[in-house]
Amino acid sequence: MAELHIIGQIIGASGFPENSLFCKWGVHTGGAWRLLSGLKEGQTQVDIPQTGDMAYWSHPIDLHYATKGLQGWPKIHLQVWHQDSFGRCQLYGYGYCHVPSSPGHHRITCVTWRPLGSWQEQLAQMFVGGGPQLRNPDLIYSGADRYRLHTETMGTVELELGVIMRHFDKYGVES
Amino acid sequence: METTGNPSVFLLTVNGQIEGANFPDYDNLYCKYCYVYGHDWAPTTGLEEGITQITSKSIQSHRLIWNFPLETTFKSTNPSGWPQLVVSVYGPDVFGNDVVRGYGATHIPFTPGQHTRTIPMFVPEPTWRLQKFTGWLLGRRPEYTDPKVVAQGEGREVTRVRSQGFVTVSFHIMTKDMKKMGYDTGPSTPSTV
Repeated sequence: MAELHIIGQIIGASGFPENSLFCKWGVHTGGAWRLLSGLKEGQTQVDIPQTGDMAYWSHPIDLHYATKGLQGWPKIHLQVWHQDSFGRCQLYGYGYCHVPSSPGHHRITCVTWRPLGSWQEQLAQMFVGGGPQLRNPDLIYSGADRYRLHTETMGTVELELGVIMRHFDKYGVES
Repeated sequence: METTGNPSVFLLTVNGQIEGANFPDYDNLYCKYCYVYGHDWAPTTGLEEGITQITSKSIQSHRLIWNFPLETTFKSTNPSGWPQLVVSVYGPDVFGNDVVRGYGATHIPFTPGQHTRTIPMFVPEPTWRLQKFTGWLLGRRPEYTDPKVVAQGEGREVTRVRSQGFVTVSFHIMTKDMKKMGYDTGPSTPSTV
């Protein structure tokens, strides 16, 4: 069996309307993958940056997978939320990116989007916040039925993902 | 160094330094560091924790420099729980009390070669405005009882923090027997993050 280590962190996010942000993240894999150690989902702290636009989380990721096949390569999916001073939370974006398939350190910028409602909903969102959310979060990283959605562009999330691969070359995989 | 046929343990050698920090609002800071690692890891040589000197900004640049050496070797059977460097920065407030100015953590790079890391530093934020004011007045800011929690991902959902500076660390990494055990850690090129 080949093994994959994902060692890195979710650094932070920028480019959103407000910057008191936190992130819910998870890693999705196919059926051939087995998680040997580590947490494959979590939620970062809420960061309110003193200076600048970027909110920093430095949330560590340390996952150890064993796999029998290349299908269902791990994908990390994110939901960026805003928490205001009263503790209310509002969705600011969904995004996903594939875990790199070559060993070494990688700096990744993950783009995010948010579902857009009708013009009445957008007007209400301007005043009271809230807004449409996905009923099924699987849509963040799958392409099925995406054509039904109308979305708006939101900010970006920076990740630093390090990949260590073991025994992939024994099975003839080139990466 | 002996070459073994089928090693079960690999080594990670970290040579580096905590270069300095960038805190626009604070001065006269010192830094404490420690390593956090998983169950399969153990340090073999070098110090696991330490404290730097107190540094202040120069008139020319607003950088704070420590130039503090890090020399440690770890051994392990498994890359899970790869060591992280946890850094906490302290300094005096207006009344002279020693308060925390930031916590941060970064994974030790695993690719052999030279690496520079800029670690964002954050402090826990008090929930109530009154607590913020009394904290400022009495010098008792919220602190983590154990700075090592900064290296963990669990239990962070309920914390609110404020990021207010950066610490720069540079590493020179060497590993022994990782390739022999079948691990591919990528090309040995310098990386800056």
